[in-house]
Amino acid sequence: MTAHRPISRVVVIGRDADLWLCVNAISRALGPVGVHVAAIELPTRLTPSHVSATLPPLEAFHAKLDIKESSLLRVTGGSFSFGQNIVAGGGGPAVGRTPNFFHAWGAYGAPIDGSAFFPCWLKATRHGLNISFQNFCLTAVAALNGRMLLPDEATSAFGRTDYGYHMQTMAYAAYLKSIAATLGINMHEAQHVMVEREENGSIAALIINATLRVEGQLFVDATGEDAMLIGRSLGVPLEHWRQYFSVDRVLSARAPAFTATPPFAEIRTARAGWTALHPTRAATGVVHAYSSGISSDEAALESANAASQVKLADVSFHSVNPGVRARAWEGNCVAVGGAACILDPIHDVDLHALQLGVVHLLSLFPVTEECAAERAEYNRIMRSYHERIRDFQCAFYALSSFDGDFWQRAGAQAVPQPLLHKIATFRARGDIAPMEDETFSPESWRAIFTGFGVMPESWPPSIDRISPDRFKAEFSRTLEFIKGKVLEQPTHDGYLDSLCRTSTA
Amino acid sequence: MGEAIRDNRSPPFRVVIVGGGTAGWMSAAAIRRQLGDDYAVTLIESDEIGTVGVGEATLPHIKIFNDMLGIDEAQFMRETRATFKLGIQFRDWDRPGDCYIHPFGAFGEPWGGVEFQHHWLRAQTAGQLRFPLQDYSYSVVAARNNAFEFPNEDKKSIRSTYSYAYHFDAGLYAAYLRSWAIERGVRRIEGQVCDVSRDPSTGDLKELTLKSGERIAGDLFIDCSGFRSLLLGGILGVGWQDWTHWLPCDRAFAVPCKRVAPLTPYTRATARRAGWTWRIALQHRTGNGYVFSSQFINDGEARDTLLGALDGAALGEPRLLRFSPGRRERAWKGNCVAIGLASGFLEPLESTSIYLIQAAVIDLINLMPRPGSGTDPRLADEFNRLNEMQYERIRDFLVLHYTANSRAGEPLWDYVRSMPLPDSLVHKLQLFRSRAALPNYHYGLFARDSWLSVLVGQGIVPTGYDRLADAFTLPALEERLTEFRNRIQTHVDAMSSHGAFIADYAQAAEATVSEEAAA
Repeated sequence: MTAHRPISRVVVIGRDADLWLCVNAISRALGPVGVHVAAIELPTRLTPSHVSATLPPLEAFHAKLDIKESSLLRVTGGSFSFGQNIVAGGGGPAVGRTPNFFHAWGAYGAPIDGSAFFPCWLKATRHGLNISFQNFCLTAVAALNGRMLLPDEATSAFGRTDYGYHMQTMAYAAYLKSIAATLGINMHEAQHVMVEREENGSIAALIINATLRVEGQLFVDATGEDAMLIGRSLGVPLEHWRQYFSVDRVLSARAPAFTATPPFAEIRTARAGWTALHPTRAATGVVHAYSSGISSDEAALESANAASQVKLADVSFHSVNPGVRARAWEGNCVAVGGAACILDPIHDVDLHALQLGVVHLLSLFPVTEECAAERAEYNRIMRSYHERIRDFQCAFYALSSFDGDFWQRAGAQAVPQPLLHKIATFRARGDIAPMEDETFSPESWRAIFTGFGVMPESWPPSIDRISPDRFKAEFSRTLEFIKGKVLEQPTHDGYLDSLCRTSTA
Repeated sequence: MGEAIRDNRSPPFRVVIVGGGTAGWMSAAAIRRQLGDDYAVTLIESDEIGTVGVGEATLPHIKIFNDMLGIDEAQFMRETRATFKLGIQFRDWDRPGDCYIHPFGAFGEPWGGVEFQHHWLRAQTAGQLRFPLQDYSYSVVAARNNAFEFPNEDKKSIRSTYSYAYHFDAGLYAAYLRSWAIERGVRRIEGQVCDVSRDPSTGDLKELTLKSGERIAGDLFIDCSGFRSLLLGGILGVGWQDWTHWLPCDRAFAVPCKRVAPLTPYTRATARRAGWTWRIALQHRTGNGYVFSSQFINDGEARDTLLGALDGAALGEPRLLRFSPGRRERAWKGNCVAIGLASGFLEPLESTSIYLIQAAVIDLINLMPRPGSGTDPRLADEFNRLNEMQYERIRDFLVLHYTANSRAGEPLWDYVRSMPLPDSLVHKLQLFRSRAALPNYHYGLFARDSWLSVLVGQGIVPTGYDRLADAFTLPALEERLTEFRNRIQTHVDAMSSHGAFIADYAQAAEATVSEEAAA
């Protein structure tokens, strides 16, 4: 009987940033208590065109790995991203009725006399105010002006000012791997992997290149959509989300760097899909998402070229088959990232989903090999997180009103029930129905809802006790504050220059 | 003022509240305070219909509610003969002789990103230092010493690691809110509803007819009629979800007795053969009750048990209350919202009744229809979703107190130990048993430290703890634990007694609480 041995050997299989983030995090946290990590590295699938666009929580995750921001940005040609600028038509002819809007990683407005800002803005807008929601967002205004947003006491009092990164993915993965090399992790490159199973179905070992046998007690599947262990070997099915998403094909490519690096991602919509530009200082990563039933790869390339207004290089294509693994943890195998859930490309959530998987694995790291309770909780909580991310992504397609076959099809997809409820509550009252395990803050939800022109039909009546003059005064004060603060900020490029200089010094 | 900024000058929205207990007057006061003159609030109550008023113990959230109304704490405490509450003491729950406190406060502090209970467990199993978990909570130690002081604002201080609630006379609290609300324009009508008219097309409630013949029309009706659920259950026929199979207690005897010193800053809940008794010390008297299951004891025996458990002379005859645990399938239907006992009942074991009223009132104010518009089913859906979540989370926590017991040979306790549990609770128990992981959700009650106090208090010993805790050396850990425990003791030793604090801060004219101030 070996059921009650503590776990001391973890094997992680995967590739690129997913693999190295995962092994670094596990080794950092559990190395000191005697857990050894082996990393099985599969051949890379990255090209120089790949750019990682990340969500704000990655900063805290990096901090746990002692990753210094300045070194990271220098090594990866990286830059800051304060949100997403969503642009109809991408400079070409407008498509549909959705005006441009910015989805920022920061606070929108400040409370007025103890009441939340949003309903105040909503009511004022109903009474003729013509200043868009994003103009009250310090982060958005700074970003659109090409500025940084360095928090100080005044901005902290105003609210959250978070950011993500844009990084050259190959450089990022190499950087993470170099850290792993310093942590005493056993690293094996693998061309070919076989899975050796126990009689009870759990995984005993991985046979690498038909020569090396790597034993473990717990196996982490970071092989992305291949799901080499959880799917192919253990047969845990993918529950398809095809009914919710019409994107099934993605083009990745490289465009030249911008002269001045925008501190945000830009999503340009066209009739046949959308194109995201992720600027780094070395190059701009371009992603074009479309539906193969509507556009051929050639047509997609044309569309992506048009949207980015340059000729793209290093073009590659891959298919997307969104869905969630029925169980992310089966037996002694834990799937993270794309092996656990394949998400739509909108909003760049892949690395964040991986982070969630790793963080929850650490907080539920089995006491012994007998891990039924941990497995049940992990499967429950990861499904919940994945579904809330899915809902946020679905909102992008369900609410947009761009013209074109792609958007018509996207808008006709099924909408998950929790999202229907969120939309209904928002339409009725402007509230974001609170749910557990959300990745996106209520402010993100409001930015997306209002950005797509969903204006609530009413607001909480308690704000009717605030006089219109108070609103006016507070709005002016906020706009003045934002204007002043933005002018104090360094430009994005200026700040990156000084940051990277410091780190080489 | 409201008139001037109302959008379309529609007439005030008419809110009619039926029932004037704690639920009715909390609703009336909060709506009046938050929504002003755009809403006309009428409350119908009858002096002939008694209120239940069992809920004399509260949770810390009530301070937010009182602050929202702008209520002066000391004055409110004098008027309601209130005392402070740092937690609940559970006696004999796991087995006779046991005693633990569920405090409104933290246990220890996280070290190295690892929650405290893992460190404590590690010291228990691997080390020399074996003090009970209870010793690492500031509010537990303060409560044991019958001490009280306001929490410190400085978040770094150990004296900031707790909050407090009140014990008060719920009848006096309702009366206090009644005068507060009436002074500010809530219309109170003395009377009993004898007929209700509905809109034939929508089914919405339109008008109430009182015994006096007076007719009261409304746009929204709040059913605060208690267990009767006059409007929501009675008129609208909303079904009842019964939870007796999880919470078998269905009756209570309540009786006040003379107060004896010292003035305890906690509620006491003592497990009994067929339920549990409560003891709540107010300034002027002590409230007592026996919550029991009629399947396991008859009324007479229950009454005798209660009288035998009093620590002062009974002030009157024990009063019998009947109830069933559970909730209405929806608390908001059409233009009728039930708040308080009309929407559901959970026994007062964790003092959640007033909290549930408060949560529902705040949600209702936020989702309230606006003047000139009808009720919106989308708003009702959200209200019902939130309400259901509140009830289910509290339910699991209450069931935990029962099911985790070692009182073998007593039929009620044998039943609850082996009954099938809600899946959500089974999962929580499994996680704690195997690795000391605590439920961790953002919305609703209860927070992690509350779960921890009761899980450990009910005698559940986890077989494992978070591996990350092993990163500390044992001597370093034990030094930290010792320092923390000593820090609590030092600070608690310097606190004033609860009795002296009340005498100084909020003593009602006729209540005498000073005896132990001298002691």
